[in-house]
Amino acid sequence: MSELTRRGLGRTALAGALTTAAGSAIAPWPALGQGANPIRIGCSMSLSGGLAANGRSAQLAQRIWAEDVNARGGLLGRPVQLVSYDDQSNPANVPALYTKLVDVDKVDLVTSPYATAMIAPSMPVVMQRGMCYVTLFGAGVNERLKYDRYFSMNVTGDDIKGHYARGFLECTKMLPHPVRSLSILAVDNDFAQRAAESVRGMAREYGLRIVYDRSYPPTTVDFTPTIRAIQAQRPDVVFFASYPPDSNGILRAVSELKLSAALLGGGMVGPQIAAVQAQLGPILNNLVTWDVYSPEPTMQFPGVVEFQEKYRARAPAEQTDVLGNYLQPYAYAQMQVIAQSLARIGKIDQEALAKDMHANGFETIVGPIRFSALGEWAEPRNLFVQFQNIADGDLEKYKKPGAKVILYPPALKSGELKSPYGAPA
Amino acid sequence: MSATALPAPAAPARPRHLSYWLGAALLAAALLVALRLIGNEYGWYAGYFVLQYVVLAAAWNILGGYAGYVNFGAAGFMATGTYTAVVLYEALGLGVIPGILGAAVTAGLLGLGTGYLTLRLRGVYFSIATLCLAVVLQTLVVNWDYVGGSRGAYVIRPMTMPGFVSYGEYIFAVMLALAVIAVGIGRTVELSRLGRGLQAIRDNERAAEAVGVPTLRLKLIATTLSGALMGVAGAPLPFYAGYVNPDGAFNLAYAVNTIAMPLIGGAGTWLGPVIGAVLLATLQQAATVTISSALNLWIVGWMLVLFVALAPRGILGWFRKR
Repeated sequence: MSELTRRGLGRTALAGALTTAAGSAIAPWPALGQGANPIRIGCSMSLSGGLAANGRSAQLAQRIWAEDVNARGGLLGRPVQLVSYDDQSNPANVPALYTKLVDVDKVDLVTSPYATAMIAPSMPVVMQRGMCYVTLFGAGVNERLKYDRYFSMNVTGDDIKGHYARGFLECTKMLPHPVRSLSILAVDNDFAQRAAESVRGMAREYGLRIVYDRSYPPTTVDFTPTIRAIQAQRPDVVFFASYPPDSNGILRAVSELKLSAALLGGGMVGPQIAAVQAQLGPILNNLVTWDVYSPEPTMQFPGVVEFQEKYRARAPAEQTDVLGNYLQPYAYAQMQVIAQSLARIGKIDQEALAKDMHANGFETIVGPIRFSALGEWAEPRNLFVQFQNIADGDLEKYKKPGAKVILYPPALKSGELKSPYGAPA
Repeated sequence: MSATALPAPAAPARPRHLSYWLGAALLAAALLVALRLIGNEYGWYAGYFVLQYVVLAAAWNILGGYAGYVNFGAAGFMATGTYTAVVLYEALGLGVIPGILGAAVTAGLLGLGTGYLTLRLRGVYFSIATLCLAVVLQTLVVNWDYVGGSRGAYVIRPMTMPGFVSYGEYIFAVMLALAVIAVGIGRTVELSRLGRGLQAIRDNERAAEAVGVPTLRLKLIATTLSGALMGVAGAPLPFYAGYVNPDGAFNLAYAVNTIAMPLIGGAGTWLGPVIGAVLLATLQQAATVTISSALNLWIVGWMLVLFVALAPRGILGWFRKR
C-alpha cells in the first residue's frame, strides 16, 4: 500500500472537490412538479444573502400554489412545474439565470425574484424575449422601462410618492388632539427614500411642520444618538422608513430612551416579520406602521385562511417566517394571476396573456386586483396597522385578529387608534 | 588586475508578444464562433460572468501578484468603472465602448491617487487602506442622486446590435476582447523591466531600492494600470444587467473572488489568474444553476483553504515545482 504523502493528499482533495462539482453540474434542476408535458414556470429567487428571509418564504408560498393547482388537475389540463434558481441576493447573477431559464430550461412562463433590486436586472432579458412578467414586491421598476407586459404584485400602485404615506398621515386625524410637528428618519435605500419623499411631500397638507429630517446609511447599528436628536425636537409625529436590521435597532433605541409621540411608526419594514415580532415583543405596542396583510376580519379574502394553514404547517421545517403575514399571500396571489389569465385565454401566448391582464381583474387570496396601464395595482392599498395589546413576544396572537389592527384604508379599517406610542399595553 | 573577463550575462529570451496576441485572438474568435454555433444565449451570459473575473484577476495580479501589494478594494475600482459608464450614459447617452474608455481613465486616476496616498503603507496596512477606499466610494455613490443613489440606476440598452445575433452576444464579445487585452497587458508587464522591478519590490523592497529600482514610480504605474483594468471590467456591467445599484456594484463577492482567483491559479504569473478565474468562476456558475444554493463563496473559501495549505503558489506553482 502506498504511503499517503502531503502532495498526494492535496491531489486527492482537489480531485474530490472537482468530482463533486462536476457531479453537481450534471444533476437535474430541482423538479417541484411531476407529470408529462408540464407547464414550466421559472424564476430566480433570493434563497441566500440579504434578501433570503423573504425569498425563501415567497418560494414556499409558490410551491404551495403549485401543489394546490396540481391537486386540482393542473393548468390547461397540464401539470405545473416550478423551476427556480438562487440568485444569492446579487443583482449581477440575475440576467444569466433568466437566460438559462428561457433558453436552456425552455420554461413556458417566467415570474420575478423578490424585490426591486433583483427584478430590475431581469427586465432586459424578459423584455428581449417578449415574456409576460408578473413580479413580486418591486417598486417603480417599470417607471422608465414602460414595458407593456409587466405586472406588479405590490400594493404601492403607480405613484408611490403621491400615495404611500397618505394612510399614516390620515391617522393623525384620528388623534384626540391636533398635532403640529413631524420628524422623519429614513435609511438610504430605494423603498425607504421613496417613503420619506412621500411623507415630506404631504406633511404641509396635514398641517405638520418638519422639525427633523435625516437619512442614515444601511450599515448603521447604533441609533442612540439619532433617537436622542429626535427626542430633543419633541415631535408630535415620528415617521421612520427603515429595513429589518435597522428597524430593530431603531425601536430598541426608542424603547431604551423612552421616546414617546402621539403617533410613532411609518414605513418600517421588519415589524411584519414573525422573528422581529417575537424579538421586540411589547416594544411594538401602539406602533403604527405600513403593512400589506393582517389577519383582521376585513381582510379575510376567500382562500387566504386555507393558504396560511398550509403555509404555517410547513414553515418551521422550511426554516422560514412562521406566520406568513407579509409577502407570502402575495407570492401565492402572483401565481393566481397567471393561472386565471391562462384559464381565460386557454393557451400559452405571451401577448394574449398581457392583453388579458390589462383588460381584466383577478380574484385572489389578497382580494380583487386590477392592473394599471403601467402594470402596477390600479388602486393602491397601503395598509397602516397598529400593534395593540402587545405585552410579550408570543406569536400566537398574530394568527388571530386584534394584534395588528388596520387603521387605513377606511374600507379595511378594523379598529380604533390608540395613542400615544410608549403607553403600556 | 586579472585579465580574465567575467562572462557576459545571458541575454533574456525575447518575449514572443506577437504569438500571444495572435493565439489569443484566434482562441477568442473560436470561442465566439463555437458559442454562436451552439446558438444559446445562456452561453454568452455565463461566459460574460467568467470573463469579467478573468479581467479582474489579471488586473489584481499586476499589483498583488508581481509587486506583492494585496488590494482588497477590487470592488471599489470595479464600481468606479461601473458608475463612470452610468454617468456617461446619463449625461451624454453614451454606450458601452465610450463607457469602457471613460472607466479606464477614471479608475486609472483613482488607482494613481490611491497609490500616491497609500503606498507608504505596507503589508496588511495597505490592504486595509484599499478596503476603506471601497467603503468610502460606496458611501459616495449611495449619496449621489445623479447615479440613482441607493435606488440604483437603470440603463436602457438596445435590444439588438448590428453584426451580432443579440445584445447579449455583443456584450460577451466586448468582455472577451477586454479579457484578451487585460491578460496581454499582464503578460507584457511580467516580461518587461517593469515586471522585473515589481518582482524585486515583492521580494525585498529595501534591497530593490538600494540597487536602483525606482520603487515609487513602478508602484504608481502598477496601481494605475491595475486600477484602470479593474474599472474596465466594471464598465459593461450596467449594459449587461440593465440596472445597477450600490449593493450589487460593490458586492463583497467581487473583492473575494478577485483575490482568490490569482491565488488559486498562481499569483505572479500571467497565466495563473486566467486559470484561477476560469476554474473558479465556472464552478460558481455551475453551482448556481445546479445545486442552487449559497455554495459560491463556500467553494471559494474551501478552495482557498486547500490551496493555501497544499499548494500555496497556486496550480501553476504546483506543477512548476514538480
